Amino acid sequence: MNAVILPVAIKMLSHNKLRFFMTVTGISMAFFLAAAQIGLLVGWVNTNSAIINHAGADLWVMAKETRTFDYGTAIPRHRVQQVSSVPGVKWAESMLIGWATWHHPQGKRINVEVIGLDDSFTGGPWEFASGSIEITRQPDTVVVDELYGDMLGVWKVGDEAEIQGHRVIMGGFSRGVRTFTAAPFVFTSIRNAQKYTPYYRDDEISYVLARVAEGEDPMKVRDLINQSVSNVEALTSSEFAERSVKYWMLETGIGITVIITAALGMLVGAVIMSQTLFAITQDHLPNYATLLALGFHHKTLRSIILSQSFCLGGLGISLGAVLFGVASNASATSPIPLETTNYVSIALIIFFLLCCIGASWFSIRAIFKLDPVMVFHG
Amino acid sequence: MSSDVLVCQGISKSYGEGEQKEQVLSRVDLTFQKGQASVLIGPSGSGKTTLLSILGCLLAPSEGELIINSEAVNFKDKSSLTEVRRLKLGFIFQHAQLLPFLTIKENLVVFARNTGMQADDIEQRIQLLIERLQLVAMAPKFPSQLSGGQRQRVAIARALLHRPSIVLADEPTAALDWHNGQTVVELLLDQARVEQAVLVVVTHDVRMLPLFDRILAIENGIVQVKQNVK
Repeated sequence: MNAVILPVAIKMLSHNKLRFFMTVTGISMAFFLAAAQIGLLVGWVNTNSAIINHAGADLWVMAKETRTFDYGTAIPRHRVQQVSSVPGVKWAESMLIGWATWHHPQGKRINVEVIGLDDSFTGGPWEFASGSIEITRQPDTVVVDELYGDMLGVWKVGDEAEIQGHRVIMGGFSRGVRTFTAAPFVFTSIRNAQKYTPYYRDDEISYVLARVAEGEDPMKVRDLINQSVSNVEALTSSEFAERSVKYWMLETGIGITVIITAALGMLVGAVIMSQTLFAITQDHLPNYATLLALGFHHKTLRSIILSQSFCLGGLGISLGAVLFGVASNASATSPIPLETTNYVSIALIIFFLLCCIGASWFSIRAIFKLDPVMVFHG
Repeated sequence: MSSDVLVCQGISKSYGEGEQKEQVLSRVDLTFQKGQASVLIGPSGSGKTTLLSILGCLLAPSEGELIINSEAVNFKDKSSLTEVRRLKLGFIFQHAQLLPFLTIKENLVVFARNTGMQADDIEQRIQLLIERLQLVAMAPKFPSQLSGGQRQRVAIARALLHRPSIVLADEPTAALDWHNGQTVVELLLDQARVEQAVLVVVTHDVRMLPLFDRILAIENGIVQVKQNVK
């Protein structure tokens, strides 16, 4: 690299320290805005597939055309035995899901999603703040997440409330089990759940969760179930998670709104950065004209601008990433988490660095249009 | 070997076409020899800046040829024009045009590096020029901390740093009072003679004329050469 590029690029940027600070802050806020919107999207995607992903089942068997986990409908309970008998299935358990009304001790009524679990509690909470899931074997005992304690009016093991007119006792509080629908999950045994979801008959459930035997291909076992068990649909866990996410994200207004907001966040971030870089170049046009007149090649000036873009972009992205980290930690215990994955983070950083190049393009174009003769006109 | 460093052969420059055509320079034939100092004078709009821009390879003539060190300048190849400016020319502008975000020393170093000078040579050459031009104390300062005269002295150092064969100055004293202006021009002449560079200075200040080897008077695009008798 030409030995003048970096010193000129960096000193041109940092000479006006206040402006430099404001520019880096602007870019970091733009990155944070985009990262927060994407983080919200990732958090929601994770939320609406969390139970499926944490259940540890290879296959989910459900009523045909079930759109999402939250909207499971009734299938006969004996499907559990039918699925168990399919070659390659190691074990199968049932799950019941239904909507009910929770009576807050102070009289408020809140919609909840009741999840009835089978004997080994597959599909239940994966982390506990207090109590345990096993206690829900006892009559009228339930578990909710600590995030929704205030909403439901229960704060400790032993607190009482009502669902559909039936008394419930808190057997424990899970941690980090969020709902996407604003109706908190209430975990209990299937026997208890049936009391709270009277529209299910005693011989009905919502899902069969199955694990395949070691060495078996879940896809092949899925196909066997679909061929041999009537009036149900079997999906692998990842297929069902993807279907649930797609339903909320693409088929409902909520998801589209989040996606559009995330896209707007990225767009606004890119525009702020382009505008800032272009403004800096415009301010320094007379200096660039001087450099051209003094024998600096266009490619050297282009490299100076690109270096500035990457310098500003790198600092802005780093600061924005720190802000995102802080916000993500702060939101970890809230109902709406900001989350990310390595893949998403890398993609976002690459996108912003590409925006740097895009932003430079306008500035470089301005330099290429510059006539060095202007140095003789003051 | 010829001592003609810079030769203009039939250089003309016009803008527009047909009835709109404006002839700025008409068949200028000039020869500049090693170490020769010329001053270019003329009323506003007479074509001084246009001629200086052509001599500085910043503007292509409509007709004619510019020869530097026996080589014709190819005005169609922008990259080769930049190379000529980078290696063979030194410029001094009306307002010095130093980079405001670099110190005086950094201004000189960055410029020298771009000309391909070696680090040792850069250090020695800068030291020599800032001593000659009495700029040692200003080296760590920024241009905004210097007076107009000091800035022009830095511009002289920058113009001579890479030992160019031609130095072009566009009204280097316009922003200075008479005393400072005279000092700057005397320094410029001294240094150009020491370096054996062709020097062409545009000025409006007739009091400076006796300092130069010859006067190039330009009016309506026609240049007349007058030798100075010292």
